[in-house]
Amino acid sequence: MRDAGWITHGEEMLLPTLSTVFLTASVEWVEAYTILLAVALSIGWPRALQAGGAALLVLALLTGLGTLALSQIHDLSVLQFIIGFFLMLFGLRWLAKAIARAAGLKNLHDEAAQFAELRAREAINERRAAWFIAFNGTLLEGLEVWLIVLALGVQTHHTLAAGSAAIAALLVVAGVGSIARQPLAKVPENTIKFMVGAGILSFGTFWLLESLGYAWPLGEACLPALFGFNLLGGLLLVRCFSVRRTGMAR
Amino acid sequence: MQGFIKTLIGDRTTLAVAVADVLIALALLHSPAARFSGLVLPLCLLASVAFLARR
Repeated sequence: MRDAGWITHGEEMLLPTLSTVFLTASVEWVEAYTILLAVALSIGWPRALQAGGAALLVLALLTGLGTLALSQIHDLSVLQFIIGFFLMLFGLRWLAKAIARAAGLKNLHDEAAQFAELRAREAINERRAAWFIAFNGTLLEGLEVWLIVLALGVQTHHTLAAGSAAIAALLVVAGVGSIARQPLAKVPENTIKFMVGAGILSFGTFWLLESLGYAWPLGEACLPALFGFNLLGGLLLVRCFSVRRTGMAR
Repeated sequence: MQGFIKTLIGDRTTLAVAVADVLIALALLHSPAARFSGLVLPLCLLASVAFLARR
């Protein structure tokens, strides 16, 4: 077992952790809001919010259970490997998806279209089914937030702060949503996903290699460098794939 | 449950790519080029991102 001081990261990781959680949560809550809005038009806001609240309660419970489960792992390098691997996996997915969408290889996520699709569902007019659509939708969108809160929170010993950042994002989206009363289609979801994907991949790479015994030459100062590399590399890939696609279309 | 698992680990291809990257990291760290792992792994991951985005 390694020395805890060598492998854990504290205060200096707080700001990157909180901003990553806040941005991740913002994107997911915007998607959850679209579902709740579509459901609320059928069964009313009280029932839709009840379903959303029940999903948030499950997520809070999962966060508590997850923190407890991870705190049972006493070998810190094993814990760091697990967290690093999941962050890497998650970062790969988000960055690849954001690049594919930005380059036009996949359609951009459209909140207005998602809203129209939900409204067209027959089940949305049935009270019980609509409640479950709102519950499942909020839960599934929130699971990604849960994963990031847990991974970054446990690793940096800031689970409570990470959870608060996710709640702050929820309050911002709820506030904007209550004013707009329509799908928040203007939120630059793909740009946020691109940045969060690059950030999470950087955290994952850093902790995974460290857990396997690699000593980063500049310690945590390598994290911004990794982030910059992933960001620039991602932009280069978007440009490369866009050019190829345009060339093929001609 | 299916949604939970998909959120947690994604699809099989993404999982296989991530496992391959971990194996590359392990091989690198046990090779004479171990000190270059911090440079090589990010490059491998970016290549993985490119592959997944093109899929």
